[in-house]
Amino acid sequence: MFTRLPAYFKDFGLDVDVRALLVMQRAFQKGLIKTLGDIYNVLKGIIVKDPMHMGPFTKAYYSYFMNIEIGERESLEDAILRSEYFRKWRDDQIDRFGDDAEDETWVHRFLDQAHLTQYDIKEVLDGRDIWDKDSGDVEDENWDALHEEAIEKRLEKMADYSDLSLEELLERMQQVREQQKGRHSGGSHWIGQAGISPYGFGGAAKDGIRVGGHGGGKMARRVLQDEKYFPVDRDAILNDTNVDAALSSLKGVIQESSTEYLDVKQTIQQGLKRGGLFIPELKYETDQQLRVILLIDNGGYSMDPYIRQVQLLFRKMKTRFAHDLETYYFHNTIYDRVYEDAQRRKAISIERVLEKDKAYHVFIIGDAAMASYELSKTSMNTYRALCQHFTKICWLNPELERYWKHTFTIMVIKELVPMFTLTPNGIEKAVVHMNRKLKSANEI
Amino acid sequence: MADTTFWTGSQHYLCDPALAQSFHIARTLGMPLLIEGEPGTGKTELPIQYARDLGLDLFIYPTGSKSNVDQFVGRFDHVKYLRDSQIEILNAQRSEKGLDASLHTSGRNTENLSDYVIKGPCAQAYESANSVLLIDEIDKAPREFPNDLLYALSHRKLVMPESGDVIEVSEENMPAIIITSNREQELPTAFKGRCIYHYIHFPDADTMQKIVSKHHPKIEDKVVDRAIDIFYHLRNIGLDRAPTTRELLNWLKYIKDTSSEAAIEKIEKLEGLGALVKTQADLEKVQRRVLGDSEDYFRRSTPN
Repeated sequence: MFTRLPAYFKDFGLDVDVRALLVMQRAFQKGLIKTLGDIYNVLKGIIVKDPMHMGPFTKAYYSYFMNIEIGERESLEDAILRSEYFRKWRDDQIDRFGDDAEDETWVHRFLDQAHLTQYDIKEVLDGRDIWDKDSGDVEDENWDALHEEAIEKRLEKMADYSDLSLEELLERMQQVREQQKGRHSGGSHWIGQAGISPYGFGGAAKDGIRVGGHGGGKMARRVLQDEKYFPVDRDAILNDTNVDAALSSLKGVIQESSTEYLDVKQTIQQGLKRGGLFIPELKYETDQQLRVILLIDNGGYSMDPYIRQVQLLFRKMKTRFAHDLETYYFHNTIYDRVYEDAQRRKAISIERVLEKDKAYHVFIIGDAAMASYELSKTSMNTYRALCQHFTKICWLNPELERYWKHTFTIMVIKELVPMFTLTPNGIEKAVVHMNRKLKSANEI
Repeated sequence: MADTTFWTGSQHYLCDPALAQSFHIARTLGMPLLIEGEPGTGKTELPIQYARDLGLDLFIYPTGSKSNVDQFVGRFDHVKYLRDSQIEILNAQRSEKGLDASLHTSGRNTENLSDYVIKGPCAQAYESANSVLLIDEIDKAPREFPNDLLYALSHRKLVMPESGDVIEVSEENMPAIIITSNREQELPTAFKGRCIYHYIHFPDADTMQKIVSKHHPKIEDKVVDRAIDIFYHLRNIGLDRAPTTRELLNWLKYIKDTSSEAAIEKIEKLEGLGALVKTQADLEKVQRRVLGDSEDYFRRSTPN
């Protein structure tokens, strides 16, 4: 049953593998999972590895365990309200306790119960302990007794599944899922009666003792309404929201290492000074190299919207890693020169660029779209020369890949310079490509 | 027995329930807890306060750009070993000539290699049962470091270099391992996969009030309210580097010595702003937006 979970969650863009299941199995054995809220908690710790995952995770969780599908930009309340699962739960509650609340209150109760964790239960139990000890001092005996009884009732209904095996629990869940799907299964034997609900859905807190204290439901609600938690579209052309994602992909071009090695020269020198007592001198070396040449096409209106983003990206990169970054500009395509300033007044010849150390990473950013006569032989030769000299070179195109084949010049340049889209994913591919090249060059 | 009781914070530390639960899950499963979040939200405080509250041994490994796994686990001190062996030769030569030994190895014996193993925080934590191990700011480490760490953390067994001593820890005595990161660099997926992950959200005003009262219990509520108001306002005007909990606490430390009326006045005038805002550009922005120094603003924005 649970075997489908990894694949299911993967469809929501989450990285889940079999190991997650094993960890969950272990959590179950250790008694960490006793309610549905616990499952949410534990799975969250295992699966969510970035605040960006919270949104998709909550969606996947509601869909998998409760069959509640949350639509794009839909609030959790709305999704719950229109779900079969919620309706059955509410009918069941109304049968037992009567209808005494508005929709909103029902949703709150539902969330409180769905996210009820063993910690909450424990808190109530602990609270009762204190109560028991203090009861002598409480003046209003009647009030006290009333509440104690209420808590008793409440706790009885609180499900404790420590005796069930994982398989049994899952089987029950599966049954519930099946029931949700079948139309005429009838709400009456919906699991959740007489305190055997695997979900911790006991009686509603009619008696005024609310449990879901730690606000798992509140969190889930906030997550789904907060744009921050929606995953950044890694396939969208660079924009203000995904520039950080792009930056983290770009970091891959930094070669960084920290090694400790024997400083032979120093060891001999110091050893001679000590009169032949040679003590190895160790030296740490952190090697962090990032040198980038940026060639930006800033001619023509087609590129205007992207230039600011590109500059923002690389400026961030520069301030974060403080390395060598050189920017040159060109118009449409590179002939025999590029420009040092954005106004394209100070020209430097391409030979000067080619004299630079070939360890530079070169990013050419442009849409590579021009009239075919503009892409002359000189220009093509320039690209060839660049690729020959700089092994780590790539072209980032703000045009989406599916449109490339409609532009002749893109197809030509693509053959000369490895081309990727100017998206976080594209940049990541570009970085992988650059690093791979580097490796094979080292092997030779 | 490993401590798997549920810990919800101490007198001096307000532990967010969600964090407390993640921490409990991590300890119960014997997995490291990876905490990420904005700087100044109390990531490092969790293990420190936890260890202090329960009286457990705490071992800290502060990560830096030169970190490697040897420092974390244990390394062999070749320098000392060589020195001692040279001293032995020297002393032998001297005794041949009937002189006293002038240099000592301070009890170390070159025959016993374990004398020269310098144990890192990880080895020390594994040796003392039920301790707390903090790996601080792992995002500062070189890129391979987290992956190298994986092996050390996923086996409950360490082999010391050269001496071959084995340090083993039982599942019950496994230390509580906490790793913090400021997200300055993305950690490898495989590494994150072996941790329980928790992201600390920036506390809301109510929680912030509780945090403040844990640190500065003597400040009057109305002063705290006003300070928190302004603090969240500053966070919302889009500074490059928004002030964090730590900075609010420092600011209040500066303010708390005066009477509450004077303190409120100080707060409204943003005295001691340097404790909250740390860059020049931000300071200017605050002066423009919050203090309403419009004259200054116009003067500055007119092109020369």
